[in-house]
Amino acid sequence: MTDTIIEVRNLTREYQMGAELVRALRGVDMSIYRNEYVAIMGPSGSGKSTLMNMIGCLDTPTEGEYWLNGLEVSTMGDDALARVRNREIGFVFQTFNLLPRASALHNVELPLIYAGVSGRTRREHASGALSRVGLSDRVDHRPNELSGGQRQRVAIARALVNEPSILLADEPTGNLDSTTSEEIMTVFEELHAQGQTIIMVTHEADIAAHAHRVITLRDGRVHSDTKKAA
Amino acid sequence: MPIFEGLKLAFREIASHKLRSFFTLLGIIVSVGFLVAVVAIIQGMNAYVRENVAGAIVGKNAFQIRRTPISVGFIDDEEWRELQRRPPIESADAQFVTRAIPDAQAIALQSGWPTPQADVRWGNRTVADVLVFGVTAPFQVVQDYEMEAGEALSEVDVRERRPVVILGFDVAEKLFDNFNTAIGQRVRVAGTMVTVKGITKAKGTVLGQSWDGFAMLPLPVFEAIYGRRLTTVISVKMTEAFMVAGAMERAEEAMRIAHGLRPNDENDFTIDTAEGLISFWEQLTRVIFTVVPAVVVIGVVVGGIVIMNIMLMSVTERTREIGIRKSVGAQQRDIQRQFLAEAVTLATLGGVLGILAGGGLAAMVAVLSPMPARVTPWSVGVALSLGTGVGILFGVVPARRAAKLDPIEAMRAEQ
Ligand SMILES: Nc1ncnc2c1ncn2[C@@H]1O[C@H](COP(=O)(O)OP(=O)(O)O)[C@@H](O)[C@H]1O
Ligand SMILES: [Mg+2]
Repeated sequence: MTDTIIEVRNLTREYQMGAELVRALRGVDMSIYRNEYVAIMGPSGSGKSTLMNMIGCLDTPTEGEYWLNGLEVSTMGDDALARVRNREIGFVFQTFNLLPRASALHNVELPLIYAGVSGRTRREHASGALSRVGLSDRVDHRPNELSGGQRQRVAIARALVNEPSILLADEPTGNLDSTTSEEIMTVFEELHAQGQTIIMVTHEADIAAHAHRVITLRDGRVHSDTKKAA
Repeated sequence: MPIFEGLKLAFREIASHKLRSFFTLLGIIVSVGFLVAVVAIIQGMNAYVRENVAGAIVGKNAFQIRRTPISVGFIDDEEWRELQRRPPIESADAQFVTRAIPDAQAIALQSGWPTPQADVRWGNRTVADVLVFGVTAPFQVVQDYEMEAGEALSEVDVRERRPVVILGFDVAEKLFDNFNTAIGQRVRVAGTMVTVKGITKAKGTVLGQSWDGFAMLPLPVFEAIYGRRLTTVISVKMTEAFMVAGAMERAEEAMRIAHGLRPNDENDFTIDTAEGLISFWEQLTRVIFTVVPAVVVIGVVVGGIVIMNIMLMSVTERTREIGIRKSVGAQQRDIQRQFLAEAVTLATLGGVLGILAGGGLAAMVAVLSPMPARVTPWSVGVALSLGTGVGILFGVVPARRAAKLDPIEAMRAEQ
């Protein structure tokens, strides 16, 4: 279980806000291993989302290195990052980020379209992913015809459909009530049990309790990193 | 992302904004429609003038005696009714004219308007839409026809109603590989077997139309095929230009006698040369063909700018969608292709609607006026490529803007 998926060294991200320099990440070091289930915690503004965006290849660091599956991602250009996002990463957002006018199935198909998968295979994989999150009976529904929990399941199915090496979730239950949150956590646990590596941001302790390792950020630095006894 | 996916997306997007898409395209539709309609109408008018002038084009130092004038200008109802009441010109009239102008070089009769078009067939080869005339032998002198091969029609051919034909150069060239063996061949003109007696030398083009696409039959043979036409036309050729004016006066006098008109009666025939008409028509066509492209280009550019603005607006509206697409792996060229496909589809749709509108307008003109309007394939081609070209040209900027959006910022955008 020492297969390294993510290797981050001195990861730094600064934003120039007019005259002010905002230092969102001030040198983060960490490694994530295959089949880990990691929760990232920390107060608001501590840099959790910034770190997740970096790990999710949606953003590039101002300084430092990021290695994903042995590839240095931190120096890649826009299109190369898009390819990595497409193949290696599944991202679940707090606000779901689904295409509002497309069906659940089409939303889940999206990553496969950009992977160049042909129509029929695409639909098969997408409906497979939807049944993994328990939404086989909602494939033709649009996001506004689904509950919050169901929308998040669609988003999870979309994140899973390309069989990513890592599933990222930035406050996936932030917009959901506690019952629905528990349902979503159950889905994550099942995925983890099936071998999926997961990194999840949350600021709720009871959500973080589902993870096997908790990394806490404070002011853009790693404050603590604790593993639960297995 | 394959092109096909881009097109599918484009159609879905356009279909979900039908009204907006339509108004976006109005500029293109109007410009392209205008182009197609004007070209159709001009082509139609050309055909109309050709058909009229085909029978009327007057040889050197010659004039014609016709039932109605050659003009295509505006004719008011009163005049139109007066023209309809006129008696036909007949061979009896020609005898009066012949007696009045003994110094004429040639006086001919030819079949009158409308000149029929027919297929000419030899073996398995067919030349379509050939203008078919019936003439008397002197017509060839009036028109200064020279023979490329074979012989001209003779007085005897006409008198004896011999089933022979003189083919225009173009028709013969399309039908036969060798002109010498062509003479004596039997061809079908409008289904009737006739023997090729001669082939005329090429006369070139008049009004942009070939002047050699005809089949010339002895007048009685022509009348046997097409029935007696409403009227014939008398052509008179003088040896020198200065003799024409005097001859026209004598022809007028002879025709008034032939038709039994009293001193106060108006002429119920027209004596005409076609030169004025032709030069007028050539000028008009030239003006139209310089003005129309300018108007169309301006319209299309304006239409393109409208498309560009709507596409920019659409990029702004769909910033979040673009962010989502990029977050799951869309590369810049995927996004660029999607928006370019949309702009091109939109503009091409504008071209198609424009062609339909232009075609409709042309059809309306054809129904409501005596002019046959013909939508020409090249104008449809130009219209389509204009639409597509505009889509590409004015779609690039919005598409590039969309492609370059930052995924995180784009996903944060309001929707
Ligand atoms: N695009 C941005 N421009 C400027 N500052 C930003 C931007 N994104 C994040 N920040 C700043 O970086 C810090 C970390 O933000 P974030 O990673 O979103 O924190 P968290 O997710 O832990 O609440 C905050 O101070 C925030 O204001
Ligand atoms: Mg956050």
